[in-house]
Amino acid sequence: MGFDLLEPRTVAEAVELHARDGNAVFLAGGTALLILQRQGLPLPRRLISLRGIPGLDEITAGPGGGLRIGALATLRQVERHPLVVRRVPLLAEALRQVANVRVRHTATLGGNLAHGDYRLDPPAPLLVLGAQVRAVGIGGEREIALAAFFRGLFETALQPGEVVTELAIPPTPPSGGTYLKYALSSNDWPCVGAAALVALDDHGRCREVRLALTAVAAAPVLVRGLDELARGEPVSDRLAARLADIAAAQVEPVGDQRGSEWYKREMARVFARRALLAAARRAEAGPVGDGTKEPVA
Amino acid sequence: MTRTGEGRDARAVGRSVPRVDGAEKVTGRAAYVTDCVVPGMLHAALLRSPLPHARIRRIDAGRAATHPGVSAVVTGADLVQMPGLDPYFGPAFQDQAILAIDKVRFVGDPVAAVAAATREAAREAAQLIEVEYEELSAVLDVQAALRAGAPLVHERLRPSQAFADLMGIEAERQTNVCYHFKLRRGDVERAFAEAAHVFEDTYTSPAAQHAPLEPHVTVAWVTEGGLLHVTSSTQSPSYVRLSLARIFGLPLSKVRVTVPYLGGGYGAKTYDKLEPVTALLALRTRRPVKLQLTREEEFVTIHKHAVTTRIRTGVAADGRLLAREVAVYWDSGAYADIAPRVVHKSGYTAAGPYAIPNVKIDSYCVYTNRPPAGAFRGFGVPQVVWAYESQTDAIATRLGLDPVAYRRAHLLREGDLFATGTPMRSLAVIECLDAVAREIEWGSGLAGSSPPAPEVREAGVPRRVLRGKGVAVGIKAALAPSISGATVMLNADGSASVLSSTVEMGQGSDTLLAQIVAEALGVRVPDVQVVHPDTAVTPYDTITAATRSTFHMGNAVLQAAARVREQLFAIASDRLEVDPDLLRARDGRVFVAEAEDRGLTIPEVFGAAFQAAGTTLVGEAVYQTSAIPTDHETGQSERVTVMWFVGASAAEVEVDLETGQVRVLRFATAADVGRPINPHHCRQQILGSAVTSIGQTLFECLHFEGGQLTNGSFLDYMIAGYRDVPPIITPIIVERAHPEGPYGAKGVGETGALSVAAAIGNAVHAALGVRLRDLPLTPERVLQAMREREPARAARRGQVERGPG
Repeated sequence: MGFDLLEPRTVAEAVELHARDGNAVFLAGGTALLILQRQGLPLPRRLISLRGIPGLDEITAGPGGGLRIGALATLRQVERHPLVVRRVPLLAEALRQVANVRVRHTATLGGNLAHGDYRLDPPAPLLVLGAQVRAVGIGGEREIALAAFFRGLFETALQPGEVVTELAIPPTPPSGGTYLKYALSSNDWPCVGAAALVALDDHGRCREVRLALTAVAAAPVLVRGLDELARGEPVSDRLAARLADIAAAQVEPVGDQRGSEWYKREMARVFARRALLAAARRAEAGPVGDGTKEPVA
Repeated sequence: MTRTGEGRDARAVGRSVPRVDGAEKVTGRAAYVTDCVVPGMLHAALLRSPLPHARIRRIDAGRAATHPGVSAVVTGADLVQMPGLDPYFGPAFQDQAILAIDKVRFVGDPVAAVAAATREAAREAAQLIEVEYEELSAVLDVQAALRAGAPLVHERLRPSQAFADLMGIEAERQTNVCYHFKLRRGDVERAFAEAAHVFEDTYTSPAAQHAPLEPHVTVAWVTEGGLLHVTSSTQSPSYVRLSLARIFGLPLSKVRVTVPYLGGGYGAKTYDKLEPVTALLALRTRRPVKLQLTREEEFVTIHKHAVTTRIRTGVAADGRLLAREVAVYWDSGAYADIAPRVVHKSGYTAAGPYAIPNVKIDSYCVYTNRPPAGAFRGFGVPQVVWAYESQTDAIATRLGLDPVAYRRAHLLREGDLFATGTPMRSLAVIECLDAVAREIEWGSGLAGSSPPAPEVREAGVPRRVLRGKGVAVGIKAALAPSISGATVMLNADGSASVLSSTVEMGQGSDTLLAQIVAEALGVRVPDVQVVHPDTAVTPYDTITAATRSTFHMGNAVLQAAARVREQLFAIASDRLEVDPDLLRARDGRVFVAEAEDRGLTIPEVFGAAFQAAGTTLVGEAVYQTSAIPTDHETGQSERVTVMWFVGASAAEVEVDLETGQVRVLRFATAADVGRPINPHHCRQQILGSAVTSIGQTLFECLHFEGGQLTNGSFLDYMIAGYRDVPPIITPIIVERAHPEGPYGAKGVGETGALSVAAAIGNAVHAALGVRLRDLPLTPERVLQAMREREPARAARRGQVERGPG
């Protein structure tokens, strides 16, 4: 089917093009768009490609140990970038598990988030890392906490005509992190994905616990209320199980062919617990974060 | 194990020579139908039904016909007005119209076809066709289809006349059962009354996709002299020629079907698929037309049968199998395709390769308003093996007997009668079972279970798991009667050509046939060129499927080559003044057996016969197997096949007790291939079958909602990938030479697929003590089964998870 491909050279120009045709759609890696087309959804007549905008795929160090990742960086670029590997190995670990290497070479991190699919892997690690989405629209630029970004099934906080330009990951406290992808077969979407980040104090007790789950609700879930229970406690099997119960109570799975509502809730509990324990073991083995060395994988 | 054959003379045969098409394929130079471009070619697209069952009230193709680039739009209503055209086709029943006439029968049924300058224009135009439907109540599964008074998918049926084994079939009237196979042997009821134990279970196996790398694709055009040329991704070029000739009222000589390399078939590309509609568009437009399915269309074109098997077995106190009663229900979808043959051939093996004096089998081919089901590697046998090998395991376990020893004691042996009354021969099933059991170190633990697994740690986190081992065997009969013709041409320089309609679809037939000719004529394998199917020059062959090519085409080629050799030796014997019986051919020479330096090179032999360069000696042969049709009421036949092929699998699995996920840690699968022509290729076939089947066992399943396929793409339908392959997987060749096989060979295409699911299911049972009866063995099903069986223990486990410690 025919379409016009517009290729702006700046973000401002891209946003301007959209203002002139509200039915136009931004194109990044194109992997999700292609899927929708193959599923029979009509493609828009006009695509605004962001791929020719210089600098939109840069990955740079942020202030105080954080990171800035351009929205057009491919998943593979992010996964392999030395800064990512050193500062947020959790993200690299999660991206390694996305689809296959061919898809990762094409799909972009910004496009992945803007797509708002409930069963994607990257939102989970980015949620526990406290990422901020920078979006530019005709009215200007704003920052949206990723925790407030996902609203529902294919629904995000982006306004029509707004485009994701960058992801900011703040410095993480010294911690251990992990992403567990549980799938029914090796190339599948997750039945459940669980990302955990655990920071310990000098006595090996919890300073902070973060947990996010994907594929178990209409949108990725950042689990709330874990610190109240965990702070000051050692991460025992028992604590992890209690935290996992809290997580399981916060998911609202939509049954799909990868698991019924019942099963997904059960697996949310299992993988929440396993992710928390694995993150804690890594935190004990050698935390990463501000001023620390690379983790023991 | 016995060995026959040529002993030290076997140089081309019995060796793992490299594939003759290997370099071409791995460098991407091999051409497939999808690469075919004919000057002036149009592209076709199909409009498909959105409803599972509906009457077509009206079709308005006006907007499509005037869409830019469109050359032709054809609907079912047009078909009935075309003089001399028979619009119906199908290998068993002519039940499928080229485009739906009067009514549609599944979501995806082709309703109209468009030919246009580009694929995009054709697809756009197809979407502009307006169809008014009157929705009819649909039968969406076998149960609904069998209900009294159920809507009929087909009101009337016309048997096809293409194959001897299917000529006698009769559809039952006014039901959705299009074929019912019956087998009656002994007195089942009396035996059940005498049995010490009776086991009765229902097993299910779901619809699954073939997923060949290359989708279905056909190019058709009319050349000089009114020759209809069709190049197509088909496993059955000879049948397609016959079918097109009948549909369009053409002499067989005016239909030319060619098949280049096939990008995988697995049964999906058997019989007519896109050829009739593509040829129709080519004849209509007088232009070349290409039709290539999208992956999404591929999913609704053909699939593996969903099957429900009810199996009841009566067992004596000492474990003897007294009686087995099996009812198999096949969801064949909207069109029968080859399903009646699946239902027949798998039906008569549904009691398994066991000594059972009393057997009753009913195998039902049922129409439903789902996409059509047909041949899939194993041809229905894996589905019935799943049932009988799971139950056989349950019997052994219940009686406290070792499952391997139990099977060994009751498996059929040479000369025993099969359920069909056919005496068994060349049957190394026990050897296969022993080989796989040995491979996974069977016997370390009672009834197949491994010693309790130590705690498994992943990323420092403990996982509680259980491990178990399981085995299963399987048997399938080669298709009979069946026919293969071949021509072998030896050239004056010692190179040779083989004219054969066997399709090279990745299985290695080009290499295999070259090896046979090289062996018979004493020439080099790389100098033998196998000409790909071209019905204008390659003789009739029943089909490239059913594990039949090595045996049938191998024999045809061997006999054709022998006829060339006779001519070669006749010429040489004159010149050498020696009896032709004393001559041998090797290394491009003809020589005297006991005096090897007395001989001629092949060019010298040709020089003696012909006063010209580049001449040929030609040999032809037709190899035909025969069978006695099974009795209509009892399913009995003294010779139901000429060749049985048997295999066995063994699995060691690990089940995660919290998720229910099954991991295959070790897998071994053995196939009795007769004497292997190319051992490496045999192992690859066994391995490929096993990996495909592991995917189908653990996660593959087509999901339907209201007749609509809901996971019909690779986004939502997964097949086994590299990382799903067990860390240890061993293909094993078992050699029991077949007296009639070429160099003792049998075949290996399907053997590795027969027993995989049951071996894994039995291993899961050994691990958990829970028997799953529905495939695939998804973690959710396993977890549910564990909890249903022992709710109390599960609850305790739950407390352990949450409680102290």
